Amino acid sequence: MTRNPAPLAISATALLGLTALALTLRPVVGTRVVRSRPPVHIRMIDPGAAIRAARRMNRAAGVIAAAVLADSSIEHYRGSFHNKAMIAPLVIASLSLAASVHGNADKRSTAHRVRDGIYAAAALTGLIGTCFHIFNIGKKSGGFSWQNLFYSAPIGAPAALILSGTMGFLAERVRDTTPGVAPIIAGVSAGRAVAAATSLGLLGTASEAALLHFRGAYHDPFMYLPVTIPPVTAALIGNAAFGRARERRPMTRFWLRFTALLGFAGSGFHAIGIARNMGGWRNWRQNLLNGPPLPAPPSFTGLALAGLAALGLMEDHPDD
Amino acid sequence: MAADPFAAPRAANGRAPDVFRHGGWVPMREFSETEAVDFVVVGTGAGGGPLLAGLAEGGFSVVGFDAGPYFRPLEDFASDEREQEKLYWTDERIVDGANPITMGGKNSGKAVGGSTVHFAMVSLRFRPDWFKSRSVLGYGADWPLDWREMWDYYTKAEKALSISGPLRYPWGPKRPRYPYRAHELNGAAELLARGAEAMGLKWTPTPLATVSAPHGKSPPCVYRGFCRFGCSTNAKQSQLVTFIPRALRAGAEIRDLAMVGRIETGPDGRATGVHYHREGSWRFQKARNIVVAGYAIETPRLLLASATDKYPDGLANSSGLVGKNLMTQSNQAVFGVMEQEVRWNKGPPSLAITEHWNYDDRKDFAGGYCWMAQGPLPVEWVAVQTSSRGLWGLALREEMEKYNHQVGLKMVGEMLPDERNRVTLADEKDRYGLRVARVTYGWGDNDKALIQHALGQMQMSLEAVGATNIFRQEDDTNHLAGTARMGAVPATSVVSSDCRSWDIPNLWICDGSVFPTTGGVNPSLTITSIAMRTADRIRALAARGDL
Amino acid sequence: MTDRYPGYDVLARRWTESWNETTRQVIDQRLAVPREPRFFSATEWRTLSAVCDRIVPQPKDRPPVPLPAYVDQKMADGLLDGYRYAQMPPQGEAWQRGLAALDAAAKEAHGGPFHGLSAEQQDGLLRRMQQGNLIGKAWGGMPCKLFFEHRVLPDITHAYYAHPIAWNEIGFGGPASPRGYVRMGLDRRDPWEAVEAALGEGTDTRRKNNHGG
Repeated sequence: MTRNPAPLAISATALLGLTALALTLRPVVGTRVVRSRPPVHIRMIDPGAAIRAARRMNRAAGVIAAAVLADSSIEHYRGSFHNKAMIAPLVIASLSLAASVHGNADKRSTAHRVRDGIYAAAALTGLIGTCFHIFNIGKKSGGFSWQNLFYSAPIGAPAALILSGTMGFLAERVRDTTPGVAPIIAGVSAGRAVAAATSLGLLGTASEAALLHFRGAYHDPFMYLPVTIPPVTAALIGNAAFGRARERRPMTRFWLRFTALLGFAGSGFHAIGIARNMGGWRNWRQNLLNGPPLPAPPSFTGLALAGLAALGLMEDHPDD
Repeated sequence: MAADPFAAPRAANGRAPDVFRHGGWVPMREFSETEAVDFVVVGTGAGGGPLLAGLAEGGFSVVGFDAGPYFRPLEDFASDEREQEKLYWTDERIVDGANPITMGGKNSGKAVGGSTVHFAMVSLRFRPDWFKSRSVLGYGADWPLDWREMWDYYTKAEKALSISGPLRYPWGPKRPRYPYRAHELNGAAELLARGAEAMGLKWTPTPLATVSAPHGKSPPCVYRGFCRFGCSTNAKQSQLVTFIPRALRAGAEIRDLAMVGRIETGPDGRATGVHYHREGSWRFQKARNIVVAGYAIETPRLLLASATDKYPDGLANSSGLVGKNLMTQSNQAVFGVMEQEVRWNKGPPSLAITEHWNYDDRKDFAGGYCWMAQGPLPVEWVAVQTSSRGLWGLALREEMEKYNHQVGLKMVGEMLPDERNRVTLADEKDRYGLRVARVTYGWGDNDKALIQHALGQMQMSLEAVGATNIFRQEDDTNHLAGTARMGAVPATSVVSSDCRSWDIPNLWICDGSVFPTTGGVNPSLTITSIAMRTADRIRALAARGDL
Repeated sequence: MTDRYPGYDVLARRWTESWNETTRQVIDQRLAVPREPRFFSATEWRTLSAVCDRIVPQPKDRPPVPLPAYVDQKMADGLLDGYRYAQMPPQGEAWQRGLAALDAAAKEAHGGPFHGLSAEQQDGLLRRMQQGNLIGKAWGGMPCKLFFEHRVLPDITHAYYAHPIAWNEIGFGGPASPRGYVRMGLDRRDPWEAVEAALGEGTDTRRKNNHGG
């Protein structure tokens, strides 16, 4: 059993259908919202809205940081830390996680300089790591071949660290707002900015899963889930980022929650995959390293949480 | 612990071992000896296995015989070279000629699943021109098969064996995507790649019959490196875990520890059944058709041993070619020492390969060769050191200590057919009372020229990656072929393109013996493809009453 | 010869995931090879032992791999190679003839049986055998070169490198099932593999080898 076309066909149909649905829903929902929306100048803005969103984004950054910490620990241990710099993502992801826990508990409406610094360093480390990994792919025999894309250090892993740092950094920007005022990031509504970052992040992570599941020859139909569901979510949250302002996006919210669940389900599937390898969990010293990466899928969860935070922002500040 | 597979047959009493479950069994249909079955297949390896499955799936009653035991890989296979010699045909063959062939583990398995239980899983397609070696390339002989038809059967075989291979294969016409992705390169393979790139030659991860991701009950390869000593995880897609279980599911019977000693023929000259030795006594199975798939030594041995007054030179031998045109393949190598640790025993032995000299005809010799990365285990490695360099004493131990730094490239090279290279019957008898095979072989000038060219190229490749202490293994061969060649006319061949013998319409031969030429690649995928085709051909012939 | 992999012991990994039950039983049997000859006579055994000592000289500071015992076991149990050169008799007969012929050559060259000669004298005779320069009635037509290449060298050296002590010496990973290898690249090592001692790192390497697995 190799490429079972049925799940692909079903997923592709689902994807097309849902995208179409998402597009057609807009005028219907929008009309309803327009009819019921009160005039802008009367609308009250919840003073705690920004803090709420910032803390959500701290959580999102934290989930991704936790995934990166676990994943890079396992993978760089597999790489024998042959380059001393390979300790960096473990350190910075730990700090990023700590900062996120701290930020989640923090109810003040000013950015925290240390957290800011950590998140910025995380994003930078992720960027450097991504460059390292790209360089590693190219320097092996065969250069930028499928073989090296499959087996060299994956680009998506340090990129997740960029996302974690970015989300955390954006969290601080959202937090750093006068209560009651709509948060702005770089001249753009914060909600839209975070939504855009989420959309790109989901597409990137889905691509990484697609590459590695392709390496696994999609031997199990469930391997199609992370390459079909998140792109739908990315389309919907992307539509929120760049499309017309709307008060309610139930479809987008549903898909974000589904994606969040999918992240954890993915770890469950990967645990099944590890058990399926020779020696199963008893051979954990090989299978935890060789098998499907256990902590990688929750990156989707972190991104989905960021997307939900973005939705919250846009719902709280619907004029943007 | 499971019972000893050598003590008593395991495929008996209505069941056969389930190779995927510890102590498990699958139901097995059993046929009466006294009622003729449609097909007896002698040998259950690369040729016999697919035929058993194809014929059983086509509704024929089939019994497969194998002299070897029915192994349970998960339980019977130890991580030990010496112990695992139990996979090989260790009964003696007499070897002579100018260049006597090393038998045993180099080319001869003895097990249900045949030599595929111990093979290195390299699964390559022929260069299309080789099917017309004589008319297109000017050497050897033409095959009575069209490469385009074989191309389809290669695809079927690759699918059935879940071959893990690269997304783009650098040589030959386009082929469909391999079912699984290629394996990661180990250090030894990486060195082949670097050397090839330094020489401007293309290289590729090797298409291998072991899975890189789970497939059914097979887990992915754990890279233990004991491939040629039996895969204890069932990642390797040998016949034992692929076609044989399929055959059983479709109603075939397998008889293990069953040595077929003689094919009986009737007064009308047709085959009537086989005499076989099992559980201490000689028995007879009636059959309407007999397929001999014992590979290039046992097949002619059986045909010659079945001589009668009507067939004094052995069965299917009006051409006189049974046993003749034996070909092996040159398997020389170049070895060196690296500063880095290579630890070449991790993973399948040949994770990378270059087929450049199979497709580049700017040579002053005929035929082609490929070379691949190597990963010998300690006993195999000391065999190389002693036979190639004559080392012994303290010097040997000192050289062997460099084990983890060794690197090597090994060729698979085409050798040309020569009627003087042959299998005959010696007077000596084996433990079944059957006359032992004598294997006579000598290299021709073309063979030697090809070997020297390859050694030079491989040495260049090792020098290019900075290996030191480089030495050559000048004498080694491996796979076999040719002793019952396929052809277009009876005068110059033993079987037709359908693997049907010209002389006896219900006697078929379906293994590497039928190759008119060997090509410069490992033969197993071609043997399996021919067997799948033969099964289809038999079904077609039966449908129109030509059986 | 320095110890390249100090402290490394394949047997210490016996209960890890790198060994399965079948392998444990096989290696146990390997280590429990009968030390008394079942096939060779006392004279042949003495000569064989001396030959083994020259073909694979072993260090005095560790228990030796009982090479003559493994050769004797191969002959007694009839474990065959799968082929035999036409000029060679069956393996047992080849060994008996070869050992007697070697003793005869030793008497002729140095006045005494092989096992009583000095190491240099023994090596000299073995080299002559390897080159095909030992002739005489005792060989019975068996070419001494073939005897050396196809019996002496393989039967003795394969027995050595099929033994865990030899695996330790060369740093071979040893048994590997169900656990195989993760890190297959150049200069990469799994923790259960042997650590090679770099110059001056003997003690540290020993510690690493003791804690691996």
